[in-house]
Amino acid sequence: MDSSFLNMEFLIDTFFVALSGVPVALLVTVVAMAIALPVGFFLALTRINEIPVLNWFTKIYVSFVRGTPIIIQIFVLYSVIPLILSGIFEKYHIDYPVYDINPLWYAFIIFSFNTAAILVEVFRSALKTVSQGQLEAAYSVGLTSSQAYRRIIIPQMLVTALPNLCTATINLIKATSLGYAISLQEITLKAKVAANVGYNYLEAYIDIFIVYMILCMTVEYLFKLFEKRLSRYKYTTA
Amino acid sequence: MLEIKNIHKSFGKNEILKGVDLKIDKGDVVVILGPSGSGKTTLLRCINFLERADQGSASFGEVTVDLKTASKKEVLAIRKKTAFVFQNYSLFNNKTALENVAEGLIIGRKVLKHDAYEISKKALDKVGLSEKYDSYPIQLSGGQQQRVGIARAVALNPDIILFDEPTSALDPELVGEVLQVMKEIAKEGTTMLVVTHEMGFAKDVANKVIFMDGGNIVEEGTPHEIFITPKEDRTRRFLRRVLPGEYDFEI
Repeated sequence: MDSSFLNMEFLIDTFFVALSGVPVALLVTVVAMAIALPVGFFLALTRINEIPVLNWFTKIYVSFVRGTPIIIQIFVLYSVIPLILSGIFEKYHIDYPVYDINPLWYAFIIFSFNTAAILVEVFRSALKTVSQGQLEAAYSVGLTSSQAYRRIIIPQMLVTALPNLCTATINLIKATSLGYAISLQEITLKAKVAANVGYNYLEAYIDIFIVYMILCMTVEYLFKLFEKRLSRYKYTTA
Repeated sequence: MLEIKNIHKSFGKNEILKGVDLKIDKGDVVVILGPSGSGKTTLLRCINFLERADQGSASFGEVTVDLKTASKKEVLAIRKKTAFVFQNYSLFNNKTALENVAEGLIIGRKVLKHDAYEISKKALDKVGLSEKYDSYPIQLSGGQQQRVGIARAVALNPDIILFDEPTSALDPELVGEVLQVMKEIAKEGTTMLVVTHEMGFAKDVANKVIFMDGGNIVEEGTPHEIFITPKEDRTRRFLRRVLPGEYDFEI
């Protein structure tokens, strides 16, 4: 056994192994966000405008996602989706091995499903901060609803939503580490697999730790820059 | 030019408008007076479809629309003939004064950007804000914000401008500058329908004064008829309460 407390060579080698999982983690984050942003926004509108049925559906969906651990959502969807798919495939005589589907697809579905619910609440609270009067003013000068939202409401809503969006994005990046449960080739899984050989778990965990930290701090910084740009109108002085 | 017929509006069981008729000619400055809750603001908002009336029609020149069942297209068409000045200014906070005024021209009316900015600059000049083109609403005083609001309405060159208590949210010392601007655009022949509590403005600028109470028009006439020789007892009681120097209560 190595006399030193940490196996430095393994620590450094595994850092790059962990780093090689970053593209998958980022891909899942970006795809999940790309789906969750519009879906979350649309569902937030159904809540704010109290659209019959949909409003009610959204409420239950949000409570369900917030009220259950992600890891359990992952297990449930990972078991349920193949069942549904095999039923569909059988019915339409599609010859495809359901259990060979790349876990990446499950990750996209699970994390979109989860993040959209979080974003409903982020957008709902942010939309409420833009005064109803501005929407009416937009109507009164002849804008349609979609023009008013695109040009007046959303740009202001985003400024308020951005800190929470940043938190949601970072939480999502960290949550992709749960992808190891469905054999997703991301940061945590790769480093842990490397550690299995010589039981260097502590080194692997330190590497994972550092990689996530760098990743999340970078994202945080980018959001800060974006927020500064979007909120120019709020902080200019006369 | 604008004729409103039999407009009804309730919020739940509360009937706010009980069949109001209104006729405004080109160049008229019509002031609506009345105690709060009498339906003045709701009337204005129904004309611009910010509220849906339960019944009634509006005719703008040749065009007549049903205020209850108007289609999206008709609503947009009416809104393009009107402009609205809000009690709380309701400027677009993410846009500069100039962009606020130009927005409706560029997006709503498809005016070329360059032309829209020229028109908008002239409108801002008219309300005395030549120095403030690039200021965001947060950098402006209440009076300046409301003048941008008026410029935003004027720039659209609508058939009529609807003013919903334009000075009620202002500090008393800023009321004057806004009234002055309104007086000037009235002099230029702009057709205006104004809900206000500024009796001075009603007396000096309006050519027609309407007194509303309880969702009905109680009395209408020239400022002289309403302020000097009101026929209805309800009008007299209201005026006694709002006109200064004639307190009918004891401290």
